[in-house]
Amino acid sequence: MTMMPTLDRLSRRDFLRNGLVFGAGMRGLAAGYAAVPDLFARAVYSAKSAGAMNDRVLVMIQLGGGNDGLQTVLPLRDSKYRDLRPTLSKEADMALPLSNDFGLHQNLKGIKALYDAGKVAIVQGVGYPQPSFSHFDSIRVWETGDPSRRQQNGWLGKTIEKNYDSAGHPLVGCAAGTTSTPGALRDLQATLTVVNDQNAFKFQGNGDSIDKVMGALYTSTPGIYGALFDTAMSTVRDTIAQLRTSATKYTPKAQYSDNQKLVYSSKNQLAAALQLAAELIVTGTGVKILHVTLGGFDTHYTEQTRHADLMAYLDSAVSAFHQDIAAYGMADRVLVATWSEFGRRPQENASGGTDHGTAAPIMLVGDVVKGGLYGEAPNLGKLDVQNNPSFSVDFRAVYQEILQSHLAVDPRDVLSESFPRVPFVKAA
Amino acid sequence: MVMKKPAPLGLRRRQILVGAGTAAGALAVTRVLGLHHLGPDLPTIPGVVASSPSPTPGGVTTKDWNSPLADPAAQVAQLLRRATFGYTAAQLGDAAKDGFRKTVDRLIETPAADPKDLSGADEATKDKPLNTLALQSWWIDQMIASPTPFAERMTFFWHGHFTSDFRKVTNQTPFIYWQNRTWRSMALTNLRDMLTAVTIDPGMLRYLDLGTSTGKSPNENYSRELMELFSMGVGTFNEDDVRAGAKALAGWREPITAAMATALMDQAVQRGGRARTITPDPVKTGVFEPSRAYVGSVKFLGETRQWDTKAVLDKIAAQDSVAPFITEKVLREFVMPDPPEATVKRIADGFRKSKYDMKTLMRDVFTSPEFTQPTAYRTLIKSPTEFMVHVARALEAPQLSKAIAQAGSGMGQALFDPPEVGGWPSNASWVSSNNVLTRVNFVVASLSGLQKVPAFRDAHQVQLDGIVGAKTADLLNSAQDDSTRWLILLASPEFQLK
Repeated sequence: MTMMPTLDRLSRRDFLRNGLVFGAGMRGLAAGYAAVPDLFARAVYSAKSAGAMNDRVLVMIQLGGGNDGLQTVLPLRDSKYRDLRPTLSKEADMALPLSNDFGLHQNLKGIKALYDAGKVAIVQGVGYPQPSFSHFDSIRVWETGDPSRRQQNGWLGKTIEKNYDSAGHPLVGCAAGTTSTPGALRDLQATLTVVNDQNAFKFQGNGDSIDKVMGALYTSTPGIYGALFDTAMSTVRDTIAQLRTSATKYTPKAQYSDNQKLVYSSKNQLAAALQLAAELIVTGTGVKILHVTLGGFDTHYTEQTRHADLMAYLDSAVSAFHQDIAAYGMADRVLVATWSEFGRRPQENASGGTDHGTAAPIMLVGDVVKGGLYGEAPNLGKLDVQNNPSFSVDFRAVYQEILQSHLAVDPRDVLSESFPRVPFVKAA
Repeated sequence: MVMKKPAPLGLRRRQILVGAGTAAGALAVTRVLGLHHLGPDLPTIPGVVASSPSPTPGGVTTKDWNSPLADPAAQVAQLLRRATFGYTAAQLGDAAKDGFRKTVDRLIETPAADPKDLSGADEATKDKPLNTLALQSWWIDQMIASPTPFAERMTFFWHGHFTSDFRKVTNQTPFIYWQNRTWRSMALTNLRDMLTAVTIDPGMLRYLDLGTSTGKSPNENYSRELMELFSMGVGTFNEDDVRAGAKALAGWREPITAAMATALMDQAVQRGGRARTITPDPVKTGVFEPSRAYVGSVKFLGETRQWDTKAVLDKIAAQDSVAPFITEKVLREFVMPDPPEATVKRIADGFRKSKYDMKTLMRDVFTSPEFTQPTAYRTLIKSPTEFMVHVARALEAPQLSKAIAQAGSGMGQALFDPPEVGGWPSNASWVSSNNVLTRVNFVVASLSGLQKVPAFRDAHQVQLDGIVGAKTADLLNSAQDDSTRWLILLASPEFQLK
């Protein structure tokens, strides 16, 4: 291609209008499987010079159920920690030291190696004012980026709506390894796709013919869900076309193991989901924002073994993902960030588990990261009336840094307030 | 909906339509099939209130379905779509003969048919675990073939409300299987008794950790979800109530079955330990051990006293939040996605006055004017299980049971395996690119696996009240064989709605 138009907002329609894509009229037409994704993706990346966009990618990992921060980044010399957690604190003896005072869970060996290489930032004590201890309520707060619970749209969905033209290009935002749209990506004005299994993401039977029939069947559907159904089906067809193009060019360059034995809620195949994320990134589909989930963190009982399994699963998946992305020379573009609706109570319960709590760490992984510890660890000597520590960093300050310094978009479109910077992203 | 002449899409339609390329041709076939096109050029049914046009990314607006609910036959069809797992033409015909009221009475008053036992389930142990697929298919068999499909539908509702998953409960006990049978037998009793059954259900004792909670070191999991998810709703209690409730409820443990006791004794011997006797519990509920309970007064929901489980549940049942919370959830599941406060209050008042009688609630819900008002038409989206079982019933293909069990997880609904303690999502949450695709693929696979599909005849009338969008009508009219007609009908947006 020769000249790209200067763009404030990337618009696939502009490319179509300018005749930059062969063989496609409008996206509703059965356009075959023209190399739309590649061209579009190149345009996305080339637009960087216009200053409106960069080539960065964000991968959010949800640790569903409330990850126990005190068992993820463990206090090594805090006697109060050992008093409050006579059973669980045994993990501190096996932790991988980050400093004199803190160590990573022993099963986070890969992430520890990345930390030592300066590629992991850990923000400690992340939370929000007047925290909710309800899974659903607190998940909604994190998903919308709004502790006042007034917002409906997800913070990632809003980011897509405000900055990228996703219509006809659903892979700008993608939930991988799940069946439904996660709340963080939800936004009626943004198109995004959900891919549970890339190998199964095609029409069965006479696929091409069914594709066309379904395109016709899901057109101008009446009723309150009509647009939702029609958009979902056109997203299916666009996604199939893109996956068909990308799948031909990708072989993983790392061992994604999903063999890690998980006892509890092991349904989330994080490794498979991150491998799909890597495929979408390295094959140039133009994907900007990915969301994957690992569940099972609601460890009210026999936490030590369950949580250890989850840490190992997280570690192997994130390590393989980073290795894969790096082997494809794209590690300098991709930021991985974890999030969870809350941490857990410092005091363990009789079931060998912990109940819902507050402040917990967020991990950020990638070559774009300025490694190290940020924020302040929960002060176990100063618990509130509900025996929970207070937070030191508002989770929206982490979102703000991701939006501003990584994706180079205006955080004010998504967040209603400004926060002191937590500078974990390297200057571009 | 806006009638669009096929011209702009002629290219694509020509690829699909064979021999029905002209509007006149399509219209003629329309008349033969008796399809109702929707649109301004057709007379609307009096009293229809179209809901506001919904915005689409492209700025196109679509009008609402024209409700057929003034017609008693359409009311009965909607009742069967929402209160059962779909129907064959014959089942709809029988119900239509009885009429709406009589059908409501029959659904509500017929006691649940007890399913046959799942072989080996009562004896499940670590070495002989429940087979998840067999368990799922066992239940889906009931959904497809039960003579009391409303009881199955309510069991399914409670499975999502008082939810548990086999991953945490594990397959090494019969607990998750028992839970299904318990929910069926209590499905239409009263909420207060149900709260007792749920609290001491062995599967629930494990799923939300009440079975390991003690007065000395209480586990808050069950106490919180009992109030937040099962009875009162978020924001109706505070954190102190959660902690006090956890103390007040502590003292239960899981029962030990005969098979589990034998297995435990065998294990002890195999490990070279001393033979010891483990006495199985004769109950299928939790066992209360006073030594594990909390002794002392705590303040729970404003009252300070020594509590026990009965007193806790009585206290919860006395809260004003309970009847509206349950009523609203039932209305969302069976009537409309966003019920107005006044409707919730009216029906909730009757529910509370009836001492939480579920039959009273469900009768009030189905016979409410809201259930059959035009704006309620096609405002609910079938869950994956409902959708697939409706397919099996419409095609009279009970052999799809195992395929349904296997396809659930790809659509976000594997039975006995909800995504979270809040149970299943609903309505719009079921629509994603992944889930629309997997539903179509289920229809394709089901149809291609059948030796013979039933004659289509007037299936669009039977299954869709004859109310279809212009595109669906065009495609049905142009289809050349019954398999294709069924594919279009079952994969259509219309069939995803109820």
